[in-house]
Amino acid sequence: MAVRVQFENNNEVGVFSKLTNSYCLVAIGGSENFYSVFEAELSETIPVVHVSIAGCRIIGRMTVANKNGLLVPSSTTDTELQHIRNSLPDNVKVQRVEERLSALGNVIACNDYVALVHPDLDRDTEEILADTLDVEVFRQTVAGNVLVGTYAALSNRGGLVHPKTTIQDQDELSSLLQVPLVAGTVNRGSEVIAGGLVVNDWCAFCGMDTTSTEISVIESVFKLNDAKPTAITSTMRASLIDSMS
Amino acid sequence: MGSKTDIIKPRTVQVYDLDDFEKLLKGIKVAACMITASHQVVDEESVMRRLSALTLNGPSDGNCCSCCGVGPFDSRAQQTAHYKNHWHTHNLKRKLFGKSPLTLGQFNSRQEEEDDLSVSGSDSETDDTANKPSSDLFAAATRHCKAFFTNQQGQVFCVYRCILHHKKEEPSTDGDGSAWVQRCKKLAIPGFQRWAVLMVSGGHFAGAIFSGGVPVVHKTHHSYVTRRGQGQAQALRDQHGNAPRSAGASLRRYCQAQFLQHVQDIIGGWVEDLQGCTFILYRAVGSLNQAALFGKNSPLNKDDPRVRVLPFPTKKPSYKEVKRVHETVASVEVYDTMELFQKALISSTAKAVTKTSSDTSVPGKKPPKASPNKPVDRAKSRERTPRELPTQMLSSEDEGPCFIDSETPVAWIKTLSEQSSNGVITNSRKDLLNDIPVPCPESESETENKIDKKEAKKKRKKEKKQEEKQPAKLPQKIPTNVKKMWKVISGNEITSLETIFEGWETSDLVSACNTQDPSDGNTALHKAAIAAKPDMVTQILNAGGDPCIRNHQLQTPYAATPHSDTRIAFRLFQGQHPDKYNYAKAHIPGPVTPEMLEQEKEKKAQQKRAKRQREKEKQVEKIKTNKFLQMTDAQKVKTDEQRCFLCGSALPKTPFEYDSYKFCTIRCLQNHRNLRPLHMSA
Repeated sequence: MAVRVQFENNNEVGVFSKLTNSYCLVAIGGSENFYSVFEAELSETIPVVHVSIAGCRIIGRMTVANKNGLLVPSSTTDTELQHIRNSLPDNVKVQRVEERLSALGNVIACNDYVALVHPDLDRDTEEILADTLDVEVFRQTVAGNVLVGTYAALSNRGGLVHPKTTIQDQDELSSLLQVPLVAGTVNRGSEVIAGGLVVNDWCAFCGMDTTSTEISVIESVFKLNDAKPTAITSTMRASLIDSMS
Repeated sequence: MGSKTDIIKPRTVQVYDLDDFEKLLKGIKVAACMITASHQVVDEESVMRRLSALTLNGPSDGNCCSCCGVGPFDSRAQQTAHYKNHWHTHNLKRKLFGKSPLTLGQFNSRQEEEDDLSVSGSDSETDDTANKPSSDLFAAATRHCKAFFTNQQGQVFCVYRCILHHKKEEPSTDGDGSAWVQRCKKLAIPGFQRWAVLMVSGGHFAGAIFSGGVPVVHKTHHSYVTRRGQGQAQALRDQHGNAPRSAGASLRRYCQAQFLQHVQDIIGGWVEDLQGCTFILYRAVGSLNQAALFGKNSPLNKDDPRVRVLPFPTKKPSYKEVKRVHETVASVEVYDTMELFQKALISSTAKAVTKTSSDTSVPGKKPPKASPNKPVDRAKSRERTPRELPTQMLSSEDEGPCFIDSETPVAWIKTLSEQSSNGVITNSRKDLLNDIPVPCPESESETENKIDKKEAKKKRKKEKKQEEKQPAKLPQKIPTNVKKMWKVISGNEITSLETIFEGWETSDLVSACNTQDPSDGNTALHKAAIAAKPDMVTQILNAGGDPCIRNHQLQTPYAATPHSDTRIAFRLFQGQHPDKYNYAKAHIPGPVTPEMLEQEKEKKAQQKRAKRQREKEKQVEKIKTNKFLQMTDAQKVKTDEQRCFLCGSALPKTPFEYDSYKFCTIRCLQNHRNLRPLHMSA
């Protein structure tokens, strides 16, 4: 199910939120409306947390996250880090990284198993990424763009990439990621996919401008129509309980 | 406008040289840099088709790396291993910079050659600097005022966009750009080379119609429409209603109207010729110049697709300039190879800045220094010419400072204010302020007289008052026994006044106590209070000394005393005799009783004790801290004393710590950390 939402009249919802299979981060401030859309859709299954990174609200572009962990840039303050640690489930590893390319969300695209990263990303960061998020890391580009995190949105079931990605590139990427990929747009033709869309395995939020065609593409590629959050939550709950006991 | 690179001089071919141009057009294609990759049309069906294809065949058809030209891979492990290879990363970056990928052999040999070949580093390798990212080339090409084509022989040639299409109907660059090719081929059709060039600027008009390379008709006209000395844009001011009415301005206005009329006449005469033109190129900047070309009953229509703006700056309109413009627009630059063209394009975009700066110093415009009648720039502040200050007209009467000092007699001021209120003196300030009344003798004597009178009056009043108070005695004559009493009071002896008081009758006693010293107006009570003798104060008060009498400084005895003990004596007396005097008038703040005094004393003593205690504790703490600080860090860890490792002060509930060190504040921690290098603290 894909939901249209706006952050203070801004359609780039991916900038102000981060969605994973085990938690959701939304920017502090903002109208309560933005938060409540997420809350209404997700609160039964996963925690929705208000956070800021280095006092900024552009958390979606500054952080990289999946169900296993969360990486925040070095500019994150101690209190913010503490707040995030306190609010997230215990099995989520939160790690701060010293990386020159500090907008981690723009340079890294990942699902729960694979991550595509900027070719210039530091080796140390790559290691931390692999350890914290439990992913295989590949240096790649999307349609000739190094900002893979900006131009691709991935889930465990599918992925949407920059509209100018060639078929061959799509094939290669999808074989690398082991999920089907489709080139498309959000927000009435915006190529900044991750800026206008956040997605996990059963739910997606996109900008208010997104057309119904785009929505239907999103729903079909991420297989949101047949997604059953309850099933996932039940399995997730079981695993959570396992990890706690 | 040929590219001014000094390395490559492209051949130019005129569009109207049909033979040459047609030769050029053989096998014409739009240059690759012009073509944008077509947007994929994404709809649900195609997605579903792709998805089904993916699910049917699995992701195996993409099982190779196009970047390095490797694959298909046998296993997933092989695939992931390849993508994590440095070779792949290197090739990825080469691709980003528009270079061809290296084979594994090349990469390995290269790495052996230079060990410092950075793989994950940020800086790009520089093996051939001339090559720029292809994306840059694309950006430069799409923004360029020319369109680029290639032909059979691999030549690249550039045609001005303005002769291919109107600004508003740019053909799409998607696909193979067939629309562009068609337009370019159209140029070669005979009879298509009939163009008009019109230029209007600053009262100059120049226009010509060319057929092939030959001008058919041409005309220039000049009129006086700008007044260079008067801040040029006068037409605008005219429209706003506050038109200047000088002879020059009206002359200019007349000429302007004439100019418009004239230009329109010229164009009107060319109507038939213009209709045969394939396009009309014009340059007319500003509303006035545009009005000249496209104004009322002009045969030209701005929305006509044939009417196009010249894409480059021109000089002052003249026949020569019109010919030059036509030549430039018609010329097609031909580069023999793609590489030559790329170099030229990139260097021309890089040099754009310097080029424009050289263009500004065209001979048409004189440099501002040389121009004899420099236009006045009213937006800027003008240079200040040094001027002499005006001589100051200082008169003591008007400019004297306005102040009233303590030495100015109060009476004097009073009289003055009275006089001014009576209308005797209109400018009160004038007199108030002149302490030394010299300026004009006439008025001076007058005021002096007045003052004398007033003072005399006042004295009399005072005397009357005193007479009322002390009817028996004259003010000047103070009885000797009173003088004696004053002496006793002011003296150092601590004798009681009772002996003196006993010698008087009660009525005499009261009057004696209230007698004012003529020198300072002090009564006995004043004197006792100033001498700080609380016992005497109480005695005098008991004897009937009025605490309400004020001395010459307008102080009551209570206010005059400098000592708190004496003040308390007054207040004690008030407590004992609450109704005897008007204490409010005597400025005595309120009664106290001995008990209250006692309590206050006790309070003070307690505070003192507490303070001493605190000091003691501080001392102990200081000693302890010093002891703690003298210990080594290892000892500090062992002791169970919870203190900051750096400053020794007590720790807060949750101390700041690193390793096993604990600190009271972040600052202490930082300082401690800075004192010790990292390897020692670990």
